[in-house]
Amino acid sequence: MRDFELLEPRSPEEASRMLADHGEEARVLAGGTALLLGMRQRLVTPSHVVYLGEVPGLSTIEYDEATGLRIGALSTIAELADSELIKTRYPMMAAMARQVANPQVRNAATLGGNLCYGDPALDPPTCLMALDARVIAVGSEGSRSISLVDFYQDYFLTALRPDEVVTRVDIPPLADGTAGAYTRFTRTAAEHRPLVGLAVVARRQGGLCRDARITIGASTPIPVRAKRAEQFLEGKKVTRDILEQTAEIAAADIEPLSDSRGSAEYRRDMVRVVLGRTAAAVFGLFAD
Amino acid sequence: MTKHAVSCTVNGEDQVVEVLASRLLSDMLRDDLNLTGTKRGCETGICGACTVLVDGKAVKSCLTLAIQVRRRKVTTIEGLRHENGELHPLQQAFIDHMGLQCGYCTPGFIMMACAMLGRTPNPTREEIRAGLSGNLCRCTGYMSIVESIKAAAEKMAGHRS
Repeated sequence: MRDFELLEPRSPEEASRMLADHGEEARVLAGGTALLLGMRQRLVTPSHVVYLGEVPGLSTIEYDEATGLRIGALSTIAELADSELIKTRYPMMAAMARQVANPQVRNAATLGGNLCYGDPALDPPTCLMALDARVIAVGSEGSRSISLVDFYQDYFLTALRPDEVVTRVDIPPLADGTAGAYTRFTRTAAEHRPLVGLAVVARRQGGLCRDARITIGASTPIPVRAKRAEQFLEGKKVTRDILEQTAEIAAADIEPLSDSRGSAEYRRDMVRVVLGRTAAAVFGLFAD
Repeated sequence: MTKHAVSCTVNGEDQVVEVLASRLLSDMLRDDLNLTGTKRGCETGICGACTVLVDGKAVKSCLTLAIQVRRRKVTTIEGLRHENGELHPLQQAFIDHMGLQCGYCTPGFIMMACAMLGRTPNPTREEIRAGLSGNLCRCTGYMSIVESIKAAAEKMAGHRS
C-alpha cells in the first residue's frame, strides 16, 4: 500500500474542510473493508486519508414515529443486523444485513462507507432504496439530504461533492400494512458477489397492492427503481399471473451488466425470476 | 510521512507501537510485536486466516489499519492460552477432534470460534457453519472444524455449570 498522511477530524465540518483542502487526492476512511482493499490493490492511491473514527456521535440508531429511522453513518453492518429497532420496524433490512459479506467484515464495515462506495453489487444500497432512504451529507455549503435514487449516478459514482461526507442515513416510517423483502441471489452458494440484488416493498390494502417500490441492483451499473413495473402493480389485485407480468416488465426495462459472472441476457432472466419470487413472498403467494 | 503512536492492549499487555498510517494491523502484530500466530493468507478479506478480536469482536486484521485499534483491546491466538499454560478449550478441541491438518487457517478459525462462543455459547451446527462463513480451510472439509467447536462449546458449558 502506498503511504499516506492520516487526517483525523473531530467533526463532520472539519472532515469536509480537510476534503476541500486535498480534493481528489483525499479519501474518506470509515471501517476500511472496501477502501483498504482498493488501496492495497493500488486501485486508489490517496495522498491523504480522512479517518472518521474520531468523530463522535456517528454510530447511533434511533427511531421516531413521525420521522422514522436515523442511522449514524458509522454504524456497522453487524449493528444493523443486531438492532432490535431495525429487526422490529424494518425486518427486511435486518435480514439483509445478516447476509452481507461475512461476519468479520460485518463487524468492521459501516453503512455510510457501504453506501458511498458505489459498488452496485453491494446489498444495502438496493435494499435501502426500496425503503426510500436518504443520506445526509455535510459539506462546505452546509448539510443536505439526498434520496438514494439521486445519490447513485453511475458505476461507482455518487452525487457526493468532493468536500461532502455522509453523516447519517434516514428512512421514513412504513405505512401500516407495508411489507417488504430483499433477495440476494448468487449463482452458486460459494459466490461472494450477488448476481442479482432485489428488493420489493409494498402496502397491502385488502388484496390490492399500493405504493410498490421495486429496486434492482447488482445486475445493473447502479441500483434502479423499476418504475413501470411499480405503476403496473398499483391498485391491482395481486395474483401469480400479475406478478409474472410485473417481473417481465421490470426485467425488460433494465440495462443489465454483462461480465464473467453473467451475460446480460442471463442477468435479465434472473432479475425476472428473483423479482417474481421476492414479490410472491411479500404478498404471501407461492412462486414457481 | 508522519508516524503515529498506537497505544493498545494486546493479549492483556499494554503496548505502544510507532507506525506509519499505512501499517496494517496484521503487519503490526506479526512484524512489530512478533505475534506470528496471526496468519496472512489471501490479504483481501476473504480467507479469514488473519482473524483477531478487537474489543471482543472478530475482524480481519489484513483489512484493518493499526491506527484503528488505538485504545482498544486486541486478542490474538497467543492470548488464548490460560496463565497456567493450559490450552484454551477451543485449542484443545481442535487437537482432539482433528480440526486441523496443515494448520495455517487454524488461528483464524479459533479466533472466529472464540468470538462466536462469546455471543452464542451453545450454537447449533448450522449456527457454527454460518459463523464460519468468513474463514476458509482447504484441508479438512470443515466437518472436523465444526465438530471441534461443538465439543469446545460443550466443554466450556460444563465448566460454567
